[in-house]
Amino acid sequence: MVNPILLIAVPLGLAFSIPLFGFVSKKIVKLIPIVGMLFNLIASLILIPKVLNKPIIVKLGGFPPPFCINLFVGPVGILFSCLIALIGLLVSIYAIRYIGAQGKQSNVGQEERYHMLYLLLLAGATGVVLTGDIFNLFVFYEILCISSYALVAYLGDKPGVESASKYLIQGSIGSSFILISIAFLYGQFGTLNMADIAQNINSLTSVQVFFPLILLVTGFGIEATIFPLNAWLPDAHSSAPSTISAILSGIAIEIGIYAIARVVFTLFGAQDFFLFLLMLGLLTLLLGELSAFSQNNIKRMLAYSSAGQMGLILFALGVGTTEGIAGGLFQLITHVLSKALLFLATGFMIYRTGSMEITSLQGIGRKMPLSSLAFTIGAFSLIGLPPFIGFPSKLMIVFSVLLKQNVLYTVFIVIVLIGTVIEGAYFFKVIQALYFKELPTQESSDAQIQEAPLAALIPMVILMALIISIGVYPKIMTGILNSAASEFLDRVAYIKLVLK
Amino acid sequence: MSNIRMRNIIGLILLFIIAFAVILSIIEIPFGIPKTTVGNYYINNGIDETGAVNIVTSVVLNYRGYDTLGEVTILLIAALGLGAVLGTIKRKAKKEITPSSVVLSTGCKVLFPFILLFGSYIFLHGHLTPGGGFQGGAIIASGYLLVYLGCAKRRINQNRFKITESLSALIFLIVGLLGLVFGGYFLLNFLPKGIPNTLFSAGIIPIIYIAIGFKVGSELTGVIDNLIEES
Amino acid sequence: MIFLSNYIYYIGAFGLILIALYILLTRHNLIKKIIGLSILATGVNLLIIAIGYIKEGTAPIFSNPNLNPQNMVDPVPEALVLTAIVISVAVLAMALSLAIRLYKHYRTLDMRKIKEQRW
Repeated sequence: MVNPILLIAVPLGLAFSIPLFGFVSKKIVKLIPIVGMLFNLIASLILIPKVLNKPIIVKLGGFPPPFCINLFVGPVGILFSCLIALIGLLVSIYAIRYIGAQGKQSNVGQEERYHMLYLLLLAGATGVVLTGDIFNLFVFYEILCISSYALVAYLGDKPGVESASKYLIQGSIGSSFILISIAFLYGQFGTLNMADIAQNINSLTSVQVFFPLILLVTGFGIEATIFPLNAWLPDAHSSAPSTISAILSGIAIEIGIYAIARVVFTLFGAQDFFLFLLMLGLLTLLLGELSAFSQNNIKRMLAYSSAGQMGLILFALGVGTTEGIAGGLFQLITHVLSKALLFLATGFMIYRTGSMEITSLQGIGRKMPLSSLAFTIGAFSLIGLPPFIGFPSKLMIVFSVLLKQNVLYTVFIVIVLIGTVIEGAYFFKVIQALYFKELPTQESSDAQIQEAPLAALIPMVILMALIISIGVYPKIMTGILNSAASEFLDRVAYIKLVLK
Repeated sequence: MSNIRMRNIIGLILLFIIAFAVILSIIEIPFGIPKTTVGNYYINNGIDETGAVNIVTSVVLNYRGYDTLGEVTILLIAALGLGAVLGTIKRKAKKEITPSSVVLSTGCKVLFPFILLFGSYIFLHGHLTPGGGFQGGAIIASGYLLVYLGCAKRRINQNRFKITESLSALIFLIVGLLGLVFGGYFLLNFLPKGIPNTLFSAGIIPIIYIAIGFKVGSELTGVIDNLIEES
Repeated sequence: MIFLSNYIYYIGAFGLILIALYILLTRHNLIKKIIGLSILATGVNLLIIAIGYIKEGTAPIFSNPNLNPQNMVDPVPEALVLTAIVISVAVLAMALSLAIRLYKHYRTLDMRKIKEQRW
């Protein structure tokens, strides 16, 4: 049995030792994130059967739980940990050829820094999902955020640095709100352990319990790109290098949604708050999809689409029943796999043509067939078409709302379907440009547009295979999804497991 | 410019709402009364369980040592991010610097070893007196800053500082993993606790603080070197 | 007046936080915004320490084995503030390096003029 602390200690250790490896040889530095994430993936997969049986509690330091930090590895945690390890592994394989190709290596050790920051971002994300203590969640959430600020500005060009500075200022305000809320919670309840705080919160009516909840949702909502707080999103995702855009859209904003869910469901148990979350999610969905529709820059379009999808996931979590939360988590898995595939596919397309406008990508379908096929599959699965993973996940959400048998909720479902139609419209615009339009006639650049290298194609093929296989046979996911949903809804079992 | 005036007013209204909510909720937290069971447990049982007489150190490194691991990582990320962003600036030709006067350069050279000594004293005695690894490391970095500003004739060797930083961080992590191997819990205090209030007490706590002191010192010095190099 | 003297530290900490939020909302120079972030971090740290204070308390260090444990302040907020100060130092270092790099690109630090990324 693998001790779950190794899921965090091994990537941290490998990241700390990258400079030492760099002195031995420059080539093996690229392979270290692959080794780290491979270890994480295998360890998470080994732990799944044991965790589904009974969640694992790891006491750090050997003291009993309210007096120490504990890790709580439940179905939700192990699911997220598998996803993070999988996407981290695939994107680091893609980055073997992509980061060296970006050029401008005027400083020695620049590539080393990229790989260290990348591995530390993933270790921070894994730390957030596996912890059971609220201040520890804040510390690892800060690791995630600060690495993403540094990685957005990694290339040092004009749009990158400008987006990173705006992202940094907004993200830091959010982090300060979270810290104020932790101070309030400690002042009232005298402990920082999530199970201990949950034991003492009985109702939401008093303002001193309501105010920390609002601060926490606002603070985490800045990272989770909820409607009024996502001004940083399109700039940051579009000016980062493509591997980092895939990681930001695929992991960082999902960790924001996880933190909101953990706080609202497990810590506060706020049943009356669900309707507000649901409407907020719906608003984010509509505004995200409408903004994506009018974009001409493909990466900004994909960034707004991420905001819309986060609204859909928040809507599904706000329904509040087991089927709703399971549907929300399934949609999250769909978004992670599909959005990573989309960003990886467009990475080399943009590098070969040199521009991010959709009009300059016309006709690439003939020259880069596998990348265009990957883009098409990613787009279809995000819209929700049948043989891909998007179809069972959206179906689950629609069924969970219909099960509520409330007229208001039926109106909400109609709005969600309108959002899906808008999504289909703008993705079809791009696919039409890829396949059915002619290449802009520039003879000099014709010779350079060829397919992406092998190291970049392998992750795309693996992601396509996963999307199709889970889409055709979604039953393999329903077991873990239902356990995850009941972990969120069953506060009493959580408290009893930690504080027995 | 009514646009700016409107924005100021909206900002003020938002702040008033926040202030009102704050006042309503802060009244319930009385000031100056012992409130927590966790704090009392640490004060009463701290010396027996960890051996350090400075209770804050035993909380930071033993009861909540995992948070300190995260904190050390955040400093590393800040140093890396600074190096990555400032590393893309093209190097200009060296500027002419007027050499400093005799008083300044002699004063800096005389003060520098004492500052290093003071910083080392702080992180070595972290379990007995207020202080610890982070504070000692910051003092060591300020010694290097004094030399850079006062009498610098050459640069630090970046490679050696990078190796020190990586090795110290690895020592912290390995001590935690050794706790896992010997006792079954990460960051378990597995060395003998010794007699309280002496230098060689408190198990793994002085070892970790020495590692953190070296790490923070070399890291902040690298940051200062990056910032001075680009100007 | 009794209210004021009891809660003076909370009022001070919240005053700093609100001033910092006002700076962040209404000033346009990047360096001023970074100063606002620094004041915000200071205010939050002061709030956490003030929550942990116990009347007539001293530092929780048993330098003399006969010290009364009843007279010591709560050690947990002090540990939280140690971590929070380091985190705010890291964020400020990143922000300042971004400000240096931004100035080299745009020759100005007014955030109203740095708006190339619009639609």
